[in-house]
Amino acid sequence: MIAEFVTIPGIILMIGALILSLVPRDLRSSIFLLFPIAALFFVFTRPEGYEVTATLAGLDLVLMQVDSLSRLFGIIFSATALIAGIYAWHIKDLGQQLAALVYAGGAIGVTFAGDFFTLLVFWELMAISSTWLVWARRTPSSDAAGMRYLIVHILGGGILLAGILWHLADTGSLLVETLPQSTNIASILMLIGVAINAAVIPLHAWLPDAYPKATVTGAVFMSAFTTKSAVYVLMRVFPGWEVLTWFGAAMAIYGVIYAVICKDMREILAYHIVSQVGFMVCGIGIGTDMALNGSAAHAYSHILYKALMFMGAGAVLYATGTTKLVELGGLKKKMRWTMIFYMVGAFSISGLPLFNGFISKAMTVDAAGYAGNETAMLMLLFAGVGTFLSVGLKLPYFTWFDKEESDIEVKPLPVNMYIAMGITAFLCVFYGLVPGALYTYLPFQPVDYEPWTVYHLVEISQIALLTFAGFWIFRKKLAGERIIALDVDWFYRTPAPFFRRVFVNAIDNFFGWVEALAFRITDKLVGRFDNPMKWLNPFSKEENHARTYSPPMEMVMAFVILVILVFGIFLVL
Amino acid sequence: MGLLLVVTLILEFTYLADYDSHWWNAIPAFYALWGIISCMVIIYVAKFVSNNIVKRSPDYYDR
Repeated sequence: MIAEFVTIPGIILMIGALILSLVPRDLRSSIFLLFPIAALFFVFTRPEGYEVTATLAGLDLVLMQVDSLSRLFGIIFSATALIAGIYAWHIKDLGQQLAALVYAGGAIGVTFAGDFFTLLVFWELMAISSTWLVWARRTPSSDAAGMRYLIVHILGGGILLAGILWHLADTGSLLVETLPQSTNIASILMLIGVAINAAVIPLHAWLPDAYPKATVTGAVFMSAFTTKSAVYVLMRVFPGWEVLTWFGAAMAIYGVIYAVICKDMREILAYHIVSQVGFMVCGIGIGTDMALNGSAAHAYSHILYKALMFMGAGAVLYATGTTKLVELGGLKKKMRWTMIFYMVGAFSISGLPLFNGFISKAMTVDAAGYAGNETAMLMLLFAGVGTFLSVGLKLPYFTWFDKEESDIEVKPLPVNMYIAMGITAFLCVFYGLVPGALYTYLPFQPVDYEPWTVYHLVEISQIALLTFAGFWIFRKKLAGERIIALDVDWFYRTPAPFFRRVFVNAIDNFFGWVEALAFRITDKLVGRFDNPMKWLNPFSKEENHARTYSPPMEMVMAFVILVILVFGIFLVL
Repeated sequence: MGLLLVVTLILEFTYLADYDSHWWNAIPAFYALWGIISCMVIIYVAKFVSNNIVKRSPDYYDR
């Protein structure tokens, strides 16, 4: 039982975090890598249908449950934890390392959770540990953003918990299972709770707020886990909910519009996560076997190339100290390898041939078409244009080109960063060339999607070529500026001072007032009762002090105490 | 790149002339048109939204 319990992949990383805190500083980042490897080992070796169960307070819990869908996500989460661990190998900050391990463990735990209670525990662990990756940047803006991030996620977790409890009361079951599409309040609360983590608009503002302010390495972890574990839960619990189709397609477009507006590398990439998760959510909403396969494959590919792009942006931040496009440009000689690796990610995300996005994105988009939903398909194709435009052309152009030679001083990157980027870039190309390697792990077999058709090649190349032409003509319109773009977080950030006054300061003041009142009353009472002799001898004007007590008075008091004692004894007997 | 475009167009008209899984396959070079039109729409919508609604100076929230 214990052996089964500690080999749950999510738990391995949690235990890893415990052990890591005892390891000497210089060994820590190497030991870090062992735990994702162990998790990966158990993800691969546990057979389908494997379960670890437990009982808590009369509820049957399924701590781990393996099937093809959870294994697919388990593989990619463990692999990303490993790759991001390599990328962060030079970091000596214990807090960040522990937070990253717990965070990855939370995501993997959610993936294998067989009941909602276990899922929620890992879910909340994820929220708390990832907040630390924002706070570890230790700037005033990251402190504030981390707090907003935490508040949103605690709220989301609370809504999810409410939904789970309601569901438990309705059905008596805690097992994670597919819920039929309905307007049942329990299901809707759960959907909202998960949708907050999946950054479904209009609940997405925490993402582009927090991710650009996280640490260089923290953002790589964050880009992989929170939204994609929510995508997994959506896929597990809410497949075929039609509302998701439209929210997903809208997210896809909303994300790229903002990615075109924004002028900061990591902000662009963060908005772009919203867009990409939109593709997955749309596929989940369509809910056919092919669409779900497409969403799962897209989540898998997306984690790889988005992590790669965040690594590239992080490398630029590490080397130059900024990610603002207006300050960058002309780095093509100074950061050549970072650019090459980033471009692999960018081509993948744009779905160009030879890269993994060519497979998974097309599968999702075509699934919409095959399911008869041509409007959704066109919306996704539209978003795809924006993808190539914003992260495939605009971001790299204004970072590495545009000027002849940048005069920014570039700090050399640690070798481990290059290694991590190289591995990820290799995987992006590998899955693009050998889609079968991914197909075998997809949840619905057999996968009969053939990406390498003349039609698909013609489609993708025409779109990409003309998008490039459009970009080239209008590139001056997209140049970097010193701006920020408001988003729906305006609705809670602007009135925040007001709410702070009403809900924090007013309550603080009230408590302060009550405290002062209590002290004043105490003061008065003490003044009145500090000397009982005043009361026992009210007819004398003189102050009575203990040392001047007369013997008769002492006798009276002793007698009183004796009587009370005797009464007390009788009462007890 | 122009060459590549020509290649895709030739491919489209030779191999895919009778391809009709979607209504838009009837339009020649549809994906090329879709690419350039989407690109312009996105840029103009983004600029419009940016200039008129959401653009602020970076210290907007700190004031």
